[in-house]
Amino acid sequence: MPQKNHYGFVIDVSRCIDCRACLVSCSVENAVPMNHTRIWVHDLGLQGEFPDLRRTFTPYNCMHCDNPPCIQVCTSGATYKDKETGVVLVNQEACIGCGFCVEACPYDARYLDEKRGVVDKCNACDQRLVIGQKPACVTTCLGGARMFGDLNDPNSEAAIALKNTNSILQRLDIEYEKGTYTRPNIYYINSDENLNARLEPHQPQYTLAEQSWRKFFLPAVLVGVGATVLGQAIMFTKQLLQGESEFEDR
Amino acid sequence: MIERNVSRRDFLKLSGAAFGMLAARQFIPPPVASDARQANLLDLNGDGYIPTICEMCVWRCGVVAKVNNGRVVKLEGNPDHPQSRGKLCARGQSGLMTTYDPDRVLHPLIRVGKRGEGKFRQASWSEALDLVADKMQAVKEKYGPEAMIFSSTHNLSQVQFENLLSGFGSPNYGTQRSLCFNAMVTAFLLTYGIEEPSRNYDNVKFILLVGRNLTEAISTSETSDLVEAVSRGARLVYLDPRYTKTAALADEWIPIRPGTDASFLLAMLQVITSEELGDCEFVKRYTVGCDDLPATMQNYTPKWAEAITGVPAATIDRIAREFAAAGKDALVHPGWRTSNFINSFQTERAIAALNALVGNVLRPGGCLIAESPDASNVPLGKPSQPPYPRVSAMRLDGVPWKYPLVPLKLGIFQELRDAILSGQPYQARGWLISRQNPVLSLPDRKRTLEALDKLDFIAVVDIIMNDTSWFADVVLPESSYLERFDPLSVVGEKIFIRQPVIEPQGDTHSALWIFKELGKRLGLGDYFQYQDEEDYLRIQLAPLKLNLDELKVKGFLESPSEKKNGEIKFNTPSGKIEIYSETLAKAGFSPWPTWEEPPYPKPGEYYLLTGKVGQHTQFATQNNQLLHKYEDKPRIWVHTSAAKTIGIVTDDLVRVISPVGEVILAALVTEGIRPDCVYMTPGYGHLSKGLVTAYAHGASDSELHMTFTDPISGGQALSQTFVQLAKA
Amino acid sequence: MSSYKKIPLSDRKRLHEKKIRKHDLANILTHWFNVGMWALLLPTGIAIISSPRLGISPEWLQEFFRNSFGGTDNLIKFHYTMGLIWTIVLTWNVLLGFRKYFLPFAAHRMWLDKDDIKWLMVKPLQMIGLKKGQPLPPQDEYNAGQKLYMYVVILGTAGIMLSGIVMTFRTIFPVWMKQWAQPLHWVSVGAIVAGLAVHVYMGAFFPEEKESFFSMFTGEVSAWFARAHHEKWYWRKVEQEMEWEEKVRKESEVI
Repeated sequence: MPQKNHYGFVIDVSRCIDCRACLVSCSVENAVPMNHTRIWVHDLGLQGEFPDLRRTFTPYNCMHCDNPPCIQVCTSGATYKDKETGVVLVNQEACIGCGFCVEACPYDARYLDEKRGVVDKCNACDQRLVIGQKPACVTTCLGGARMFGDLNDPNSEAAIALKNTNSILQRLDIEYEKGTYTRPNIYYINSDENLNARLEPHQPQYTLAEQSWRKFFLPAVLVGVGATVLGQAIMFTKQLLQGESEFEDR
Repeated sequence: MIERNVSRRDFLKLSGAAFGMLAARQFIPPPVASDARQANLLDLNGDGYIPTICEMCVWRCGVVAKVNNGRVVKLEGNPDHPQSRGKLCARGQSGLMTTYDPDRVLHPLIRVGKRGEGKFRQASWSEALDLVADKMQAVKEKYGPEAMIFSSTHNLSQVQFENLLSGFGSPNYGTQRSLCFNAMVTAFLLTYGIEEPSRNYDNVKFILLVGRNLTEAISTSETSDLVEAVSRGARLVYLDPRYTKTAALADEWIPIRPGTDASFLLAMLQVITSEELGDCEFVKRYTVGCDDLPATMQNYTPKWAEAITGVPAATIDRIAREFAAAGKDALVHPGWRTSNFINSFQTERAIAALNALVGNVLRPGGCLIAESPDASNVPLGKPSQPPYPRVSAMRLDGVPWKYPLVPLKLGIFQELRDAILSGQPYQARGWLISRQNPVLSLPDRKRTLEALDKLDFIAVVDIIMNDTSWFADVVLPESSYLERFDPLSVVGEKIFIRQPVIEPQGDTHSALWIFKELGKRLGLGDYFQYQDEEDYLRIQLAPLKLNLDELKVKGFLESPSEKKNGEIKFNTPSGKIEIYSETLAKAGFSPWPTWEEPPYPKPGEYYLLTGKVGQHTQFATQNNQLLHKYEDKPRIWVHTSAAKTIGIVTDDLVRVISPVGEVILAALVTEGIRPDCVYMTPGYGHLSKGLVTAYAHGASDSELHMTFTDPISGGQALSQTFVQLAKA
Repeated sequence: MSSYKKIPLSDRKRLHEKKIRKHDLANILTHWFNVGMWALLLPTGIAIISSPRLGISPEWLQEFFRNSFGGTDNLIKFHYTMGLIWTIVLTWNVLLGFRKYFLPFAAHRMWLDKDDIKWLMVKPLQMIGLKKGQPLPPQDEYNAGQKLYMYVVILGTAGIMLSGIVMTFRTIFPVWMKQWAQPLHWVSVGAIVAGLAVHVYMGAFFPEEKESFFSMFTGEVSAWFARAHHEKWYWRKVEQEMEWEEKVRKESEVI
């Protein structure tokens, strides 16, 4: 689906110091429940042996993919890609909180808010974007690791960072259906790690309910309805051919 | 939690009630900060943005608070504030959770049970204040004003706290400084004549951090500057026995033996002076002692330092050269919390000397500025007041009669506590504490609790039932920083205001009000000649002819100061950088940065290290649920080899035993620390049951720390306690 | 051939003109209420299911409905509001009318007896042109096919309502219920729709059942129709009428 702008995150891994200001800022800005988080800083762990040690921190949130598996699986269309910005959003009014999308996300970026009965996740602080502010995590990032902007706009800080970096660009891109890649919109720069291998996005999981619906109940009903409709159509045709006799059944 | 996205689907339930509430909202405006409403910062719905100042740590970033329907819903860094520049750290972002903490003390409390039982009854302000004043007056009349101790951790209302202290006539002033930066401040006062030089990272090319874990001991703007500098290509060398997050950021991490930083730095001095690698012209012109310096340093070779520090001589030599090669764009960070070893003072002296040698001080574009971040040339007004009574009594903390070089403003907090216990030179009888938690901050908690027992009366000004409040006789609830005015804060040429973002919850008041009311009752009303907080602020602004209402709306006003022209001068007796300090010589100490042997642990003992975490501020924030959500669980870090010796793995409980106490804590077995060291996550082990989230979570190293005092700077030596470990 | 074919002409005319009440007013209202609500619920329900993985409704249909309602959330709100109204009214009707409208007639309207089974083995074949001429066993007020459809409707409606409630009150029900509610809702609707095709055809298109269709408005069928298609019910009605006539005669005699 073509969209007007192509918003995305650019994360400079070398600048993240795991201060977690972003996590708190997001929690406050989006009233995230205490037992959930919308964004992460993944600690890839202390590597090496004393004194030759290494440790990097990888900021992480919803990838706002170009081809999100979550949207593929949402029954009600509650989750969708915003036409203006490309941000993947959840319409809380339309969501019933069934959690199909939570299972389907390869990045485990979504959660079920038990109290409100709906699904939630990083929405790139959509409510801030509309008033010209950056997402809460990006605004407060002390190290300047988190960047956000329209990747199509050559003047945005995100596009500039992508252009100027000498490092490899990494994305946690995975193929989940033949020929279909998620195409995430978080670009990682300046990371020495193979992030795909370290962060391990997984294939979308589909719940038994959804699978049984798709594979069994859906075709079963279509066949059943098709059969009866066809049957009645045939009968009506027969009827037309037979004609109606006024005195047949009197 | 703040309810934001109330689903409109709930119309199924709300119907009439909602309509009623909605209608009422038009007629009954929500309770909001009335001053902010009057200043037009809030609209009729109680929505708006109000600029103020953070208080989640001492960096005091400018904050813009977003208010919705009279509630704070978000805090942003104020882009106009040099300490924040539009950003806030995790603690700053969590500030509204501290204000809305369900465990806040919202009414004055008077103890009814035994001290430490936590049984209080609510009282009115007049009753509580009368009681405090009566008790203080009784101490004064019976034992003299000096028997009353006043202590507070430095904050914006400090000036009025000191006013109360001085008006009362007591010399006994306790601040946290000797637990923190006495070594740094004293060394720089003696060497440069200023308390703390400011750092400028714009052009820096080489940074040597001696401790100063900037990525975890976060100072918002400076932490950002450091990351920016490193990203830009500046080389960062970091000395620390532990692999902190700053070590992860650094180009080179040097796991130096604790207590030997001075040895490393003195060796650097030796390398630089022996080959004249520094900025000789600057050194000759602006320092005292440059001629004799090479000779004085000559025995401090890298080889000598290698044996002491465990760092290869070649490494020390190389770093010295890299440092000198970067010239005025090289920086040895002055450090901040420098209360590690008694020889930390000498470490700081060596740092001051190293910076002088490359001439980075006060040079245009240089990375050290011989001006305290706190200092300013903006002349704020003060309410008029009579002169203070003369104080004849000696200070209990031994300044200056036992410690001649410790500035009065700093004092020695641990000595003050010990004097309460010893009763020498006289017995203290009362303690007034404001915004401070000595029960957790002072080393050797058992002694602190014993000291409390010796006092007739303890009153605490606090916002929450922190540990010291838990043991108090009276708790006077201050409004949180989002609910009060405080004296103005000057940063450079900008004057910032702290103002209420919401009306104070419950029955709390600002410190300005509390001190004035207390002062009145103590017969010291003349020292508090301001009507209320806003009157005080107007008095402060008067000499500058600036308008308070404008300040409230904008959040800051500029007051350009005259540019200082002329010779670079240092506020020392000689007017120059005193690498050689006559003052020190006269006091009987080494006039040069010198090596003092630290104690070493015996086999089976470990250095007990402390430090900072980026998600908490000392002992103040562990109850904040948002920070609790994202914190690392408190642990004791043990090296893999030590863990094998003791027979533990990660998450096993460990008994940590020091000569004065013992705690039990879960272990984190890691490669990221020297094998002879352990590290306890700081700030935990709260005793107060009034802190529902923080109570009994983790353990406190104050239980383990022994008390040491550096005779020169009065600084504590928090890493000189050695501990033994055993599987619990 | 059923015995009704042997009725003499004079009687036939009488039977054609005589009316027997088949449907109570409550039944009629409930039936059309159901139809009306289904007309709203079915299309909006289909329009809601927008999962590309399921691929049920095309994008243009979803766009059309979303634009008409001003957004997917309004569409959903409309659907569940209508659904709740439908649920409440039907449940109310069924619960209140249980004693008077349901219980007395349940046995005859619902249970399948031997005649029904035999009918089921013959009639469907006859409809596709086989076993012509074989006599059908007498049926009750509803023939076996209608009875089967009634089961589908009762079970399906219950399934729709329960799963609909689970999906609407999303804060109350656990996730696994909300997940299974969806295929359950689909299957329940689907089963009814499948039967609906037959029901609508039989009711509205099939010439033989023309009286049946109008009885859904007037409440009445001719005695002839009853005799021909629902013989067991016809004789029961005759008996009831005779009892009633007897009662009136006795009462008027007293006076």
